[in-house]
Amino acid sequence: MAGNNSNTINIAITGVGGQGVLTLAEILAKAALQCGFNVRVGEIHGMAQRGGHVVCTVRIGENAKGPIIDPGSAHLLVGFEPIETLREIQLVKQGGCVLISSHVQYPVAVSMGQAKYPDHEEIIKTINKYTDKIIEFDALELAVKAGSSRSLNMVMLGAIIGTGLAPITEEAAIDVVSTAFPQKFEKINIDATKLGFEMAEACKK
Amino acid sequence: MAKPKELLEDKPGKEILLLANEAIARGVLEAGVRLVALYPGTPSSEIGNNLTIMAPHIPNFYFEFSTNEKVALEVAGAAAVAGVRSMMVCKGPGLNVAADPFFSLTYVGVRGGMVIVVADDPSMWSSQNENDSRYYALMGNMPMMEPADPIEAKSMLLEAYKLSEKLELPVLFRTTTRVNHTRAPVKFEKILSRPDKVVFEKDPFRFVPIPSVARKRHPWLLGQIELARELSEKSTLNFVTGEGNLGIITCGVSYNYVIESLSSMDIKAEVLKLGITHPIPEKMITDFLRRHKQVLVVEELEPFLETHARRLAHLNKVTVEILGKEQKFFSRTYEYSPRIVMDALKAVTTRNTPINWEEIDKKVQELPEIPPRPPLLCAGCPHRTTYYAIKAATRGKAIYPSDIGCYTLSIAPPLETADILFDMGSSITTACGLAEVTDQDIVASIGDSTFFASGLPGIVNAVYNQHRICVVVLDNRTTAMTGHQPHPGTGLTGMQKEVPPLDIEEVCRGLGVKYVKTVQPFESMASLVAEVREMVKWARENHLPAVLVSKEACALLTAADRRRTGESPPKYYVDSEICNACKRCLNRLSCPAMYMDPETEQAVIDETLCNLCGTCVSVCPQGAIKREDV
Repeated sequence: MAGNNSNTINIAITGVGGQGVLTLAEILAKAALQCGFNVRVGEIHGMAQRGGHVVCTVRIGENAKGPIIDPGSAHLLVGFEPIETLREIQLVKQGGCVLISSHVQYPVAVSMGQAKYPDHEEIIKTINKYTDKIIEFDALELAVKAGSSRSLNMVMLGAIIGTGLAPITEEAAIDVVSTAFPQKFEKINIDATKLGFEMAEACKK
Repeated sequence: MAKPKELLEDKPGKEILLLANEAIARGVLEAGVRLVALYPGTPSSEIGNNLTIMAPHIPNFYFEFSTNEKVALEVAGAAAVAGVRSMMVCKGPGLNVAADPFFSLTYVGVRGGMVIVVADDPSMWSSQNENDSRYYALMGNMPMMEPADPIEAKSMLLEAYKLSEKLELPVLFRTTTRVNHTRAPVKFEKILSRPDKVVFEKDPFRFVPIPSVARKRHPWLLGQIELARELSEKSTLNFVTGEGNLGIITCGVSYNYVIESLSSMDIKAEVLKLGITHPIPEKMITDFLRRHKQVLVVEELEPFLETHARRLAHLNKVTVEILGKEQKFFSRTYEYSPRIVMDALKAVTTRNTPINWEEIDKKVQELPEIPPRPPLLCAGCPHRTTYYAIKAATRGKAIYPSDIGCYTLSIAPPLETADILFDMGSSITTACGLAEVTDQDIVASIGDSTFFASGLPGIVNAVYNQHRICVVVLDNRTTAMTGHQPHPGTGLTGMQKEVPPLDIEEVCRGLGVKYVKTVQPFESMASLVAEVREMVKWARENHLPAVLVSKEACALLTAADRRRTGESPPKYYVDSEICNACKRCLNRLSCPAMYMDPETEQAVIDETLCNLCGTCVSVCPQGAIKREDV
């Protein structure tokens, strides 16, 4: 029997409630299904919109049965925020890839002076202990460039496709994006996806 | 979210990506269900969220957000007694609310098929406990099914209705968070039509369980369960897969982890997967136990199947080692993962796991300290403003009974206004108890939806028994935490019909509360604080309950409205010339849209997160926080 992780791509997505992590996971999975793959998505609801830490999983491939990605099993860890990426770093497998948006969103404990936000250098150094494949850029900046800070999740979608790790074409992703949002936000979200895609492709080189 | 419109499509064979909750909503159409009643509760919320949008487009279909779960079960139960297919949906604690009709329903039985969906929450992602609702099936003698994924959530639901009608009993359809909130490709089947109106055929000596009736119905029920057991023995929902010396009995989401783990560790085992977990197929399980020397039982939460397996082994004198929670191979707390199953398989078979998790765990210990990011009240949440005023008016010295909703998050610093909580509605009733045995002021808070769901008996109790309590109703015009469902105060029904809303202030007056006022929290912080102070003083002096309704729409609804209309009101900013970096705003409000600039140590408002409530303006002693137009 083949291992459950053979033929399966595990993508863990982490961020802050309200950043659009759930929406990204669903769109990514829809695009995978459109490309002919079996898929599972694991979501956390309820408290998810309330500014707390959120993790979603997308598992693509024949052997994906349950929604959970174990520590050391993610081919790709997608972080919407630096410390939220660090919080889930144990999920990434040896030699896996980490995609990070560098824009910081301070937790309330830091604003209140009860906790310290780790240095950027320290965050990267720690992630490097797990993998040297890090793609980092300011996704919020690209989202604003696309037309709205709320399109940050679609920048990350484009970047995921741009890594080449998910068996999803840019066309399939854009096709799903174009039907996922109200028409007046369609162009912004497609532009955001394209900007993310180009950025990840450029970072890869 | 899959669009509710897609769920309505009559396209058998079409495959789309669905949450199990969406698959269940679709299943309602495919099973020809005539009536669904529920009170929203995560992790089951999306079932109702989809049905309410779909409802007006489905011929001969009725959907309602009932006042609470007990009401929902009675509404749906009566429909099934009348002879149509019905459904009630709730989260685990919701079934506790509906426990009373639950036990009567199995005695009287139903004529149309009925399913009760209960969503348990291992790991308590959004619940106050992780009770295992399967014991309700056992105690109430209700047949039960447990789907493992979104695909089974729909296919098994169709079987549940057939079983229900065969047995004339409701079926408990038990899911867990990782089933409800998993998405998978699900295939549509054809939509069944529903009858319009039926005639209620009277049969009081069946449907009115007075003692003489109930005494006859109990043996009938036990007989039906034996009939159900025979069906369970033959059902394809209980099946065996794989082969090997090791036996594994499992159900629900754990089945996926078992299959993945056996594959990852290259272990051969025979797996008995149970879809019907009450009544269990005793002969099938006994035969399975006989075939193995060792049987591992994998199920989240309580040792439900495990205890059954031990009972059957003992009863039938089967020599088999049953491994599970009793020997600590598995935990009775929190949800499982493939890793948890693999660790148990490692202990049982001495085969190695594919990943060295101990090493990963050790490495996690070496991570730098990561600041916590717990869920908290949103930027612009009116509850924050109200709690700030409650705390200021009472100097943090009153007792603050809390309730179930977003506002329970006020437990966290700096608001710290949640001291005691049992269940829905307990803010008011715990306040009553505390008022009698303490001398402290008591300010309870309860949300608008919770007020209607379970707050009313508490108000009546406080009025009649003259408890000197203060109740703040946090009226944000919706059921926010579970995803913005309407309630009797909103003026919208589950059928999307506009109706006259119930007014909380009027309701309280009608129930005999002498002191009732309504305030708008964003209008003025000074007057909000004064109002709380006056209420506390009045309750103390008059030794009677007092109610303050703090009315302001949920920040998420307001923000969504603004996006829809394109309206963009003036933004707030911190004037760095005036700000003296005292950090009062950061320390006392804990608004997620504010942070400290690490260089200047001054407060900054992140305008991409700010929801424009303006509360911070009145909190700043320097007047440094301003609105752009002023």
